[in-house]
Amino acid sequence: MENLLIEFLSNTGFALADYRNIIMILVGIIIIYLGVAKQYEPLLLVPIGFGMLIGNIPVIKDFGLGIYESGSFLNYVYYGVTHDIYPPLIFLGIGALTDFSTMLARPVLMLLGAAAQIGIFTTFLGALAIGFPPNEAASIGIIGGADGPTAIFLTAMLAPRLIGPIAVAAYSYMALVPVIQPPIMRLLTTRKERLIRMEEPREVSKKEKIIFPIVGFLLCCFLAPAALPLLGMLFFGNLLKECVVVERLAKTARTSLIDIVTILLGVTVGASTQADVFLTRQSIGIFALGAFSFAIATASGVIFAKIMNLFLQKKINPLIGAAGVSAVPNSARVVQMVGQKEDPTNFLLMHAMAPNISGVIGSAIAAAILWSFMSL
Amino acid sequence: MFGFEAIIAHDGVGISVIGISIVFVGLVLLSFAVSRIHKLIELWDKKNTSYQRVKKSQQKDQKTLSVSDLTVPQDVRRASRQFKLLIEWMGEPFPLPKLLDLSRKCGLSSPHSTINEFIKCKLIIPDENGYYIWNKQLEEKRSST
Repeated sequence: MENLLIEFLSNTGFALADYRNIIMILVGIIIIYLGVAKQYEPLLLVPIGFGMLIGNIPVIKDFGLGIYESGSFLNYVYYGVTHDIYPPLIFLGIGALTDFSTMLARPVLMLLGAAAQIGIFTTFLGALAIGFPPNEAASIGIIGGADGPTAIFLTAMLAPRLIGPIAVAAYSYMALVPVIQPPIMRLLTTRKERLIRMEEPREVSKKEKIIFPIVGFLLCCFLAPAALPLLGMLFFGNLLKECVVVERLAKTARTSLIDIVTILLGVTVGASTQADVFLTRQSIGIFALGAFSFAIATASGVIFAKIMNLFLQKKINPLIGAAGVSAVPNSARVVQMVGQKEDPTNFLLMHAMAPNISGVIGSAIAAAILWSFMSL
Repeated sequence: MFGFEAIIAHDGVGISVIGISIVFVGLVLLSFAVSRIHKLIELWDKKNTSYQRVKKSQQKDQKTLSVSDLTVPQDVRRASRQFKLLIEWMGEPFPLPKLLDLSRKCGLSSPHSTINEFIKCKLIIPDENGYYIWNKQLEEKRSST
């Protein structure tokens, strides 16, 4: 009986844990705290944080419990991440949630979404320079797209072993947009520029909204066919929303479906950060490059908006360039917040949504391009 | 391999330059397409409106034609009396070639164009069996005005 008790105790988490598990559990608790108390992207951070707790409970190897052990519950659910099932489904939900009106009203603002993707390619170069192989460098670069599903999509294709750190870095930085972006935005703009008021966007007809997802899909996917799973679902979701006749499907896509997939994605991505896989020097490099990527993407958007102002008759507020880094709608909210600090009556949110949404499209195209290049 | 050497070895600069260019091209094309959509819709709507306007005016024309008994030219009115007598003699319904032939024999002036005018102003109408009849209703209406 004594042996039985000793054997049981030696198999408990207390006996199996090492300092790395404790570190990761603490990180998980911090992430839950940020989601709950600070409300930084709670829909993502709470599942990811709890997933980190799940993934870092030390368990006996080959017991069929860990996320990397085939046949375990977590391993089955993780299949959706490693085989690129969840990201397109999330895009379907995003499409069904998003109103493209402001972008359709002033399409020139889409260029800001393209400019922000400079961060992806700059970070790709940075990652190559510090010794990452090209496929991993591409996966790290995509963090700058500030789009969790896109980052997971590309990493699952190019560097599956880095899904954990890259996904956590992408989602953490997305959640930390209100902390990372404002200093860069203020640094690159003058007060006068931050006070610029933008003209009211024109009204967009229903016909335009219905035609756009079809035209957008055809155009983008003919240009970058590798973006098909992501953009196909995004535009399909938007068509469901706009055509009105399939309201039931649109409602499911923007509520139940996206919620279920977010739970599964968040928990498994969190659980994939097992200490022995996650706590490596590479992960530190990925986090550092991710922050760099985010900063460059934000700066590129703002600077490009200033360049556009040199040619535009109706000036745009350069702050909205920062919204080019996808992170829908967080970065648009940050633009609104920074703009209102200068002038509480200046409403930039709806204007910022245009580059914000085009950033989603841009980052998906960028991911498709990187995937194509790495597969050649 | 590290630094610039690694970037060059993996063609990093080429990938980045081409990559960002494609992203820009994609979004520029999309932005251009989007900026045209509402104009195309406007054009389409305009086309539809003008088509409907033309259709309406055609219908209006047809309506006026149906009461065109009020605007039958004087010379046709005069000729109609003679043709009516011929038709009464022939009996209804009658074939057009027979009316034409008979009017020629009777020496009526330009019978072909006159019969054509009758058909246009619906004084002579088809009976749906390949023959024609004299539109008495129209004639009554005309005489009442």
